[in-house]
Amino acid sequence: MSDIRAEMVANVWKVVATEGDQVQDGDTLVILESMKMEIPVLAETPGTLTKLHVAEGDVVQEGDLIAVID
Amino acid sequence: MTVLDSRTRVDEAAGGGPAPAQPPAATPPRPSRDGALSRDPEARLQALFDPGTVRLLTPHDASGAVAATGQIAGTVAVAFASDPRVQGGALGIAGCAAIVAAYDEALAQGAPIIGLWHSGGARLREGAESLHGVGLVFAAMTHASGVVPQISVVLGPAAGGAAYGPALTDLVILSEQGRIFVTGPDVVRSVTGEDVDMARLGGPEPHSRRSGVVHLVAPTDQAAIQSARELAQLLAGQSAVDLSKVRLDTVQDEIMRLESRGRDITRSPADHLPDSPRRAYDVRPLVCDLLDGPGIELHPRWAPNLVTVLGRLAGRSVGVIANNPLRLGGCLDATSAEKAARFVRMCDAFGVPLIVLVDTPGYLPGVGQEWDGVVRRGAKLLHAFAEATVPRVTLVTRKAFGGAYIAMNSRSLGATKVFAWPGAEVAVMGAVAAIRILHRRTLADVPPERLHEVEAELAAEHQRESGGLERARSLGVIDDIIDPIRTREAIARAIAEAPQARGSHGNIPL
Repeated sequence: MSDIRAEMVANVWKVVATEGDQVQDGDTLVILESMKMEIPVLAETPGTLTKLHVAEGDVVQEGDLIAVID
Repeated sequence: MTVLDSRTRVDEAAGGGPAPAQPPAATPPRPSRDGALSRDPEARLQALFDPGTVRLLTPHDASGAVAATGQIAGTVAVAFASDPRVQGGALGIAGCAAIVAAYDEALAQGAPIIGLWHSGGARLREGAESLHGVGLVFAAMTHASGVVPQISVVLGPAAGGAAYGPALTDLVILSEQGRIFVTGPDVVRSVTGEDVDMARLGGPEPHSRRSGVVHLVAPTDQAAIQSARELAQLLAGQSAVDLSKVRLDTVQDEIMRLESRGRDITRSPADHLPDSPRRAYDVRPLVCDLLDGPGIELHPRWAPNLVTVLGRLAGRSVGVIANNPLRLGGCLDATSAEKAARFVRMCDAFGVPLIVLVDTPGYLPGVGQEWDGVVRRGAKLLHAFAEATVPRVTLVTRKAFGGAYIAMNSRSLGATKVFAWPGAEVAVMGAVAAIRILHRRTLADVPPERLHEVEAELAAEHQRESGGLERARSLGVIDDIIDPIRTREAIARAIAEAPQARGSHGNIPL
């Protein structure tokens, strides 16, 4: 199981993946907006996306849980 | 120091410390994992060097380490290996003397030195004497720092002194079975109560992502040895720039030739940039296209918002530093600045020219960063570039803002050449962000429905006044705006025309 956490303070701009998706290493789960950049949050292990903790428009702080991959 | 044929065994301790009377018998090869090497240090050294070139510098006895010289792809190199079959590879005064002998030889030859580590650290039975020996190894490594390239390959557990040995060298490669820690799981458990196994404490995962101790993780011992050979060649066999390999006319001939075979390689390197300036992308394929081949990425999973690659351009060894907008938007932060600073100083110490690809929105803001020492650690990068004497060429591909613009090898820090692709932005910050500060009062009075329009007008005016790329060129902080398709040629030419120099400093593991 791996927790995907925010690497920086950002707005959640787009949620790309949905819970239950099979994801590969490098797949985009969510796109954040920060520093005037669209910054993808990537899966770092293959598996099933069991939980998405954010919705579009949310603000995440560094270290906040974004998703869980099993 | 006696140079011995690798077949000759001499039953004589290298440094006179107490050693068990019996040298280990020639090991029967262990039934082992795929790509795993025998535990025999001499066999490991044989695997590192070109076949038939190995000569032992110290006897293969029970001292716990063996030193040898040989060739790597025809270039002279020196290496040593600890012997995990004797007291778990623990080092006493004799084994340490073997390692120091290897360093003496490497310095005398001006040759790269490679350590193959698999050792529990200092020999308990020798007490202070073994600690003294390990300290002498650290001193030898430090004195050789920046003089000859030092590469460590960790093939098994490397604890205590055996952990700090690799850490003092320029490049550390960890085989999948390698472990690095100061104190092992038992001590950790008894002192802190934390229950952790060797892999989680000091295996590939923590060292590749968290600690930054390890530059490369290799899937097997064989792959680790192969990486060490390639890195030694890049640092010790740098070659010269061969412009015929990058001149556009020859490149175009090559394109025509390949096209006639149905391959499309007409892409400009700028095609790697997305259409939207806000969009993130992975910079690594762009780095790969600029180099002759893929190169070797160091610290790929640690501070991935900044990419460091050793490779070749026009046949010459070069070090590439690139912001990676895919991670953290390409922001510099405390860790990536430190990673880059150490890479710059290593390349400078060995005369490897630098190529700096800039696409960064700035330094990462935040309490976490400030408390993490982004000021202190970011200053290392400023220092590293400003002190570097190797040719160092910057290319601004998309944007360079604020303090990160300065830190990424700007003209002010002494860049050899600064190029930009057309449309690149160089500024203290983006135009909209800038006018929101400069015209804060004006904007406060603007009705919300007109805000966007007014901001756009002010931003356009700001861009005209502060001048953008053309102004940067007229100031001389950018030398040339280059056609992306000429990038390889322009950078190679700038490196070839610059005086070849090399920093006279060590490579402290920043």
